[in-house]
Amino acid sequence: MHFVPNPELGNRIITLMAALVLVLQIASVGQRWIISSIRIFAMQSFLLGAIAAVIAYFNQASHIYVVAILTLILKAGVLPRLLERLVEKIGIRREIDPLINVPLSVLIAGGLTLLGYVVAESFYHPEETSAQSALGHNTLAVAIALFLIGFFAMVNRRKALTQVLGLLSLENGLFLAAISLTYGMPLVVELGIFFDVLVAVMVLGILVFRIRETFDSMDVSKLSKLRE
Amino acid sequence: MILFWLLIVPLIAGPLAFALRKRPWMEAVNLAAFGIELCLALVLAAQVLRGGPVSLWNGFLYADALSALMVLLSAVAALWCSTYAVGYFRQDERDGVLQDEQTLLGRFVIHKLREYYTLTPLFVFSMILVALANNLGILWVAIEGTTLASVFLVMFYGRETSLEAAWKYAIIGGVGLSMALFGTILTYYSAHRVLGIETLAGLNWSVLTGNAGQFDKATMRLSFILILLGYGTKAGIAPMHTWKPDAYSEAPVPGAAMLATGVLNCALYGLVRFYILSSKCLGPQFGSQLLIIFGLLSMAVAVPFVLVQKNFRRLLAYSSIDHSGIMVLALGFGGPLGILGMLLHMTFHSITKPLLFFCAGNVQQYLKTDLFAKAKGGLIHSMPLTGAAFLMVTLAVTGSPPFSLFQSEFTILRAALSGGYFLLAIFFIAFLVTIFCGFLVNVASLVLGPDPGLPLAETCGWKKYSVGGLAAVIIVMGFWIPAPLFQLIQKAADIVTGGR
Repeated sequence: MHFVPNPELGNRIITLMAALVLVLQIASVGQRWIISSIRIFAMQSFLLGAIAAVIAYFNQASHIYVVAILTLILKAGVLPRLLERLVEKIGIRREIDPLINVPLSVLIAGGLTLLGYVVAESFYHPEETSAQSALGHNTLAVAIALFLIGFFAMVNRRKALTQVLGLLSLENGLFLAAISLTYGMPLVVELGIFFDVLVAVMVLGILVFRIRETFDSMDVSKLSKLRE
Repeated sequence: MILFWLLIVPLIAGPLAFALRKRPWMEAVNLAAFGIELCLALVLAAQVLRGGPVSLWNGFLYADALSALMVLLSAVAALWCSTYAVGYFRQDERDGVLQDEQTLLGRFVIHKLREYYTLTPLFVFSMILVALANNLGILWVAIEGTTLASVFLVMFYGRETSLEAAWKYAIIGGVGLSMALFGTILTYYSAHRVLGIETLAGLNWSVLTGNAGQFDKATMRLSFILILLGYGTKAGIAPMHTWKPDAYSEAPVPGAAMLATGVLNCALYGLVRFYILSSKCLGPQFGSQLLIIFGLLSMAVAVPFVLVQKNFRRLLAYSSIDHSGIMVLALGFGGPLGILGMLLHMTFHSITKPLLFFCAGNVQQYLKTDLFAKAKGGLIHSMPLTGAAFLMVTLAVTGSPPFSLFQSEFTILRAALSGGYFLLAIFFIAFLVTIFCGFLVNVASLVLGPDPGLPLAETCGWKKYSVGGLAAVIIVMGFWIPAPLFQLIQKAADIVTGGR
């Protein structure tokens, strides 16, 4: 006899973890230390890997385990380590003068979360009452909110490294959307995306380092020579 | 099997050039690889024309007429650019541009050249993969790959401005592509509900296109908007074009020419694939409106910057924004004529554009500046070949008869009229004419005029023959398109209009 996992339980676990991911994202908006921003990103990625594992378990889809393990190793392990080493090399630990002050940024992040729910609402098909689609609905809102807040963080922050972190958290939103909507993209595609993200971080890391060396600063607003 | 060879040749050439270290070897590897690539692309085109779509590995790689056309254009651009690159970098080396100020060692030069000759084949590999990938997710991965390979080309010279340009290119491109990925995920989602859980084939173009009619409409609408914004950023259509002038003016000339032809084509190719899906699912009207708005906006944005441009490398970038606008607009006009016009324009543009870059590169290397103000004019006296080619290619790129871009722009105009877009057609003509005037005045002020008494430029054979040869091709193409090429373009247009 097979043990059939209770989908209701899985649904609750995933919703809980997705909520935590969202809380972390909003917390990172109010963050002043680069190191803690990186740690928040690592925790977020860890939770995403866990969500992937839970989905793999409850849907008995073995290829998602691969994705989960890769997320845990690369995004929660390797990437944060690389970024931390970059911070040590550059020697800037504290930044961060955002364009918009912290309380207002958190408020904006809250507004973006609401927007995420409004957008996700249009994807909700009430005729499908199976647990799977309801599961997708809840997490899609979180994924869109992650995407929007990541976008906002990139606009709001002026340090090169924090822009990279914004881009990464935006990508985390996409990852959540992919695993919750469709239980992962085809494995080849997922592998390709992982490879690209890894290379992109290395490329951006080299760029950040060179910018820091050349301009003696990581402030992107100093990159303003090229104008009409 | 041909698909496999098309991918493996540049993939091997990159590391091979890296391992060989000596300049003549690296040049030879690049030239040989792209020469073989062009032959393979021609064979693929012939196969597709004769026997229909080719696929490999259970449909993981797939080439129909549209992909074959893209492969051909990428291969031609790669071969021209690498031929010019040989002369260009030798000149740079003689001028000491590549020298590191602190060390003044020759090793640094080789290091730089190695970077270029290794990254370019990898760059070409991603461009070919874009065209051959059946899976829309892999298509995305490959387009991201073109960005990653070319970031280093943009910051090649390591100046402050190059870093700035590379940063803008990487970040704006990264954000744009993440939107495109979101769009791809949503397309997968809307297809997933129809096709059920199929792990690999669920994103395959050949599977999706047959079932697009039943996809979830709300999801596809959002998906197409995201794809348009995402791949539009890569194609540099307004208002996501801001990285383009910087990247094009900072990258070394052969690299910039590849960006202006290869990457532009790849991004538009991705857009076209999703446009086909969305017009099958939502009807052509939805996509058309958006495409027309963005296309016309790009042309409008380019106009003032072409008119008052101070820097001739940036002028080329605005011309490229203008042309991507024209192509997006043509796709928006739609109908058999609009699509045919777009693909013709893409073909002619990829053949003509590199020469414009080569001429600008020759002038820049000769004068050591890229500002109109510092050039005294009258370059035709000191650089007869480059000057004449520059004038000719300016006329060609701005779409004046008898050059081939005139034919494609005229086709697009007819598409606009037959689609009933009379007001838009007037705008289209107005923008074209203004850009023609601005471009011609700017380039003429550089090339024509009294002799300022500069010494005759010494141009090495590689540069001379790549400029002269390409100029000859452009002139011939104005009067005669090879029949198989036209047939290929027509077949590709049939795929987009859904006629098959």
